[in-house]
Amino acid sequence: ACRGKREPALPSKFVKNVFAHCVKMPVAKDAFKAVENCVNLYFKQLSDDLEAYANHARRKTVEPADLELLMMRQGLITDKIPLNVLIERHMPLEYRQLLIPVATSGNKVFPPML
Amino acid sequence: MKNTVPRSTVKKLLSKHKPHLRMRANTDLLVHLNVLLFLHRLAIETRTNAIAEKSKTIKSRHVRSSAKVVLKKSRG
Repeated sequence: ACRGKREPALPSKFVKNVFAHCVKMPVAKDAFKAVENCVNLYFKQLSDDLEAYANHARRKTVEPADLELLMMRQGLITDKIPLNVLIERHMPLEYRQLLIPVATSGNKVFPPML
Repeated sequence: MKNTVPRSTVKKLLSKHKPHLRMRANTDLLVHLNVLLFLHRLAIETRTNAIAEKSKTIKSRHVRSSAKVVLKKSRG
């Protein structure tokens, strides 16, 4: 088999693990294929939305605020569940440190707020 | 469950779809979080589908029928 340049895609093992972890039920083999297909569709939709948000603000850069808006519109962020709670629930510690600003000694905030 | 994010893959995927769009630092992590939450939603919807059909395992038709609903819910 030739292993040339492949299309970038999320590793199937990762998708499989997360899905199997969430459903807590035996999953047929072809169902995982359907899930991956679904994730690809989702990525397409997501990038279109992000482009629309950035264009609307006349930016060429996607900012964290865009994603917050997106998640709000998807109904993931509500009044009771802010973004930071979602981050704390789902992301491991080393990434949480990069996303949630925390004051360190000398009253310095890391990561710097925008 | 392994708990690291394939960061460069996420970045590559986004730049494949929108090559001219740039990302602020660490925004890819939020994108990843979004994908995780999407998978979570999809899993729960699929599970209720399968249980409603009294099926012990999840088949691809359950995924497909729930995908329609969940993708519609997660439009931006």
